[in-house]
Amino acid sequence: MVTFIIRRLIGTIFLLIVVSMITFAIFFLIPRLAGQTTYQLAAQYVGRNPTRDAILQVERQLGLADPLYLQFGRFLRGIVFGAHYRTGPTDTYCPPPCFGYSFRSQLPVWPQMVSDIPVTLSLAIGASVLWLIGGVSIGVLSALRRGTLFDRFSMGVALAGVSLPIFFTGLIALELFSYKWPIFPNVQYVPFTTNPLLWARNLVLPWVVLAFLYAALYARLTRAGMLETMSEDYIRTARAKGLPERKVIVKHGLRAALTPIVTIFGMDLGLLLGGAIITEVTFSLHGLGLFTVQAINNQDLPEILGVTMLAAFFIVIANLVVDIFYAVLDPRVRY
Amino acid sequence: MRRRRLYGLAAVGAAAALTLAACSSSGSSSSSGGNGSGAGSAPAFNAGVTSVVNPSTHKGGTLTFDWRAAPDSFDPGNTYYAAVWNFARFYSTALMTFKNCPGACGKTLVPALATAPGVASDNGLTWTYHIKPGVKYQDGTAVTTKDVKYAIERTFDRGVLSNGPNYFTNLLGGNAKTYPGPYKDRAKNLMGLTAIDTPDATTIVFHLKAPFSDMDYLMTIPQSAPVPPDKDTGASYQTHIVSTGPYKFQSYALNKTAVLVPNTQWNASMFPTVSQLPSKIVVNMNMNPNDVDNRLLAGDAQVDFAGTGVQAAARAKILANPTLKAQSDDPITGFGWFFYIDSQVAPFTNLACRQAIQYAANHLTLQNAYGGPVAGGAIASTVMPPTVAGYEKFDLYGATTKTQGDPAKAKQLLQTCGQPNGFSTGIAYRSDRPTETQGAQALQQALSAVGIKLTLHGYPSATYFTNFAGVPKYMSSHNIGIAFGGWGADWPDGYGFLSQLVSGPSIVPAGNTNIGMLNDPVVNDLFTKAQGITDATQRNAIWGQIDRQVMKDSVIVPIVYAKALIYRPPSLTNVYFNQAYQLNNYAVQGVTGG
Repeated sequence: MVTFIIRRLIGTIFLLIVVSMITFAIFFLIPRLAGQTTYQLAAQYVGRNPTRDAILQVERQLGLADPLYLQFGRFLRGIVFGAHYRTGPTDTYCPPPCFGYSFRSQLPVWPQMVSDIPVTLSLAIGASVLWLIGGVSIGVLSALRRGTLFDRFSMGVALAGVSLPIFFTGLIALELFSYKWPIFPNVQYVPFTTNPLLWARNLVLPWVVLAFLYAALYARLTRAGMLETMSEDYIRTARAKGLPERKVIVKHGLRAALTPIVTIFGMDLGLLLGGAIITEVTFSLHGLGLFTVQAINNQDLPEILGVTMLAAFFIVIANLVVDIFYAVLDPRVRY
Repeated sequence: MRRRRLYGLAAVGAAAALTLAACSSSGSSSSSGGNGSGAGSAPAFNAGVTSVVNPSTHKGGTLTFDWRAAPDSFDPGNTYYAAVWNFARFYSTALMTFKNCPGACGKTLVPALATAPGVASDNGLTWTYHIKPGVKYQDGTAVTTKDVKYAIERTFDRGVLSNGPNYFTNLLGGNAKTYPGPYKDRAKNLMGLTAIDTPDATTIVFHLKAPFSDMDYLMTIPQSAPVPPDKDTGASYQTHIVSTGPYKFQSYALNKTAVLVPNTQWNASMFPTVSQLPSKIVVNMNMNPNDVDNRLLAGDAQVDFAGTGVQAAARAKILANPTLKAQSDDPITGFGWFFYIDSQVAPFTNLACRQAIQYAANHLTLQNAYGGPVAGGAIASTVMPPTVAGYEKFDLYGATTKTQGDPAKAKQLLQTCGQPNGFSTGIAYRSDRPTETQGAQALQQALSAVGIKLTLHGYPSATYFTNFAGVPKYMSSHNIGIAFGGWGADWPDGYGFLSQLVSGPSIVPAGNTNIGMLNDPVVNDLFTKAQGITDATQRNAIWGQIDRQVMKDSVIVPIVYAKALIYRPPSLTNVYFNQAYQLNNYAVQGVTGG
């Protein structure tokens, strides 16, 4: 088991390096191939009203005219050892992992992202608990009551959940429950450490809206999995042995049906940790998703690069966790 | 140009928001927050354009600003956003400012940190200001003119503080052309700029390379607000600004939330142009635009920081509800939307070809593209909007009389310029701005009626001026003869509005804002002449002449004088539109209750 985990960890590090190379190439190689000059590239690093001298200064300072392998080396070096940037009377030190310095927000990228992670984490974890419990429960009940009114209704709702975009359901939820009937008024993120109750109250709407989308998907998947599993021979055997129905459903039926759900859950959670963009924008939550949108709007390359790397990291780590979890469940995977 | 941001995010969910607006337009007036108005008269639509709505001296409460974006920087020396210049008076004190009053009166210059307007020498090359003695920073240390000089010096390092305007770099004499700023030049006790003298702690003398009679206007820019050299950390100064205004920063989570509390070292009797009414000021940044509007309507926030008007959903809600409408203003903001015609790109090198575009444009469809008469603005016939000192009303091409254009006249001019069958050219616009995208399409359609084929070239806002439309070589090499743009005056007179748009010396190889490439000796001479005249009335007459000459040269086709539907929550006090900042005057506002 330990060997398996070490092997997967080495693979994960290798994968992150490959991701960083691809990401770096997208932002620094492709524009060059498309004819963008290093001066034009430097112009995107300077503030909003740059002079030619200022752009040239940034071009020199960042070494944008250097060969790409040197620039990539500096980028990796910054991640491992940190970097210095001239931003006033003294240099600003960007500690590792330094994903660069944003000349638009005039701060190193990493501390900005770090301050956004709790928001995204709060949103993703809360919503994922809701959708996992809600989606799986509804899926199981629907499968067990196949063809009933409950099954049809819940699957209809699930279809709506999958079909309705978050920027629609989010705005509806805000309009109804924050403004028309102010059950959740003045929805703004409050850190858990400041006030846990307010933290939860202000996240209820985003959790529910986000979970509505995913729960719908999970309900349909669970239902399909349960229907397939419950028609297996071993379920009939379990019943024939006289096991209580609850044990048959939970221990034998649900456990088998959950295997694909676990895989998807790991991926979904990893993706969300990289930023639930639409939910965060809709509810004005300053998480990694909103950070990403701002970075793109401002064409802030260091920020875009940083958040891409971080999102990739979360997905890769989520995959790793799922793999390890599988290995625990099924020893065959370890070999 | 002070920047006003348009927000791509507004498009997200617009359809949903409109649906919501439709189903909730009734009965929402009761959701307004606050506990009623102060001593002012009953609110009425546009009351805040010409009078103070809800006047009050009530102290206390939390004044909440919601902003769909974030500042370029709160650092007074590193910002070019109109809203931040307006807001910065809460925590910084420039040498000059504008009078506290609605309407045209709000453009009157009055001293802030200075004791009086500047005194110019006979040749106009030297300006002297005295600052009020006894002014203190939030930590109790005294403000001196050396701090004002240092504040201006630091703006010379464009590699570190590149956001603000560069008037000082361009106008000052001495070693201003080569001075690298105090971060690089640590010698001479950080006072290396020879163009500014500080003979004593309350006197500051500016040496210019040419006469500049708008000096008092220039001193309203927050770059002239003092910065203590020992507290300056360069780019990161924005996160721990040392206040000289009525408020100081209690906390600032970059681009998320700022909280300001009263500055106990501030002396109200010295600064009548700003107030210290709320007990706390909160700025929420990067908010969903529709959420900002909903929060204003619900009373959760009092001010839209951007001040550029509500979104389509809230607009529908407000205009359909008489109560809400009475709590709104729709002023001409002082911002102008237009498109340039590049006089260096053939066939626009020919005046008649440029003038043909003036007649071929359909001003009505362009106005609709920009949001119609309420949210977009009034059809414009001059470069300068009516709120700018020196504005003169005229209409050389019938924009306001033949609003759908005059194709016959356009064709006639095309014959004159040797293009009777029309021609092909490109148009640059910011593709992340729906108004410009729709405007480009509307113009494409209108020009096709006279045989002019427009090819659309959309570019991102962030690099529009640095890499594309603002690069003359790029424009000519890609045969792009037309480019969309907009402008707000840095200060409310003709120089503030026109100089960067149409004066020959303003043409630069990148980041160019004179995209019409106008280098007309008549215009340039008028600028020089105006700067030698100290009498404002005489000077204002010249701005009108320049505007007329520019329209004759036809390098700019005005679209609208921008308007914005601004909602005033009942809990907000001392509300009125300020023509100088082109926004409501933030620095005097308070809230009821609290």
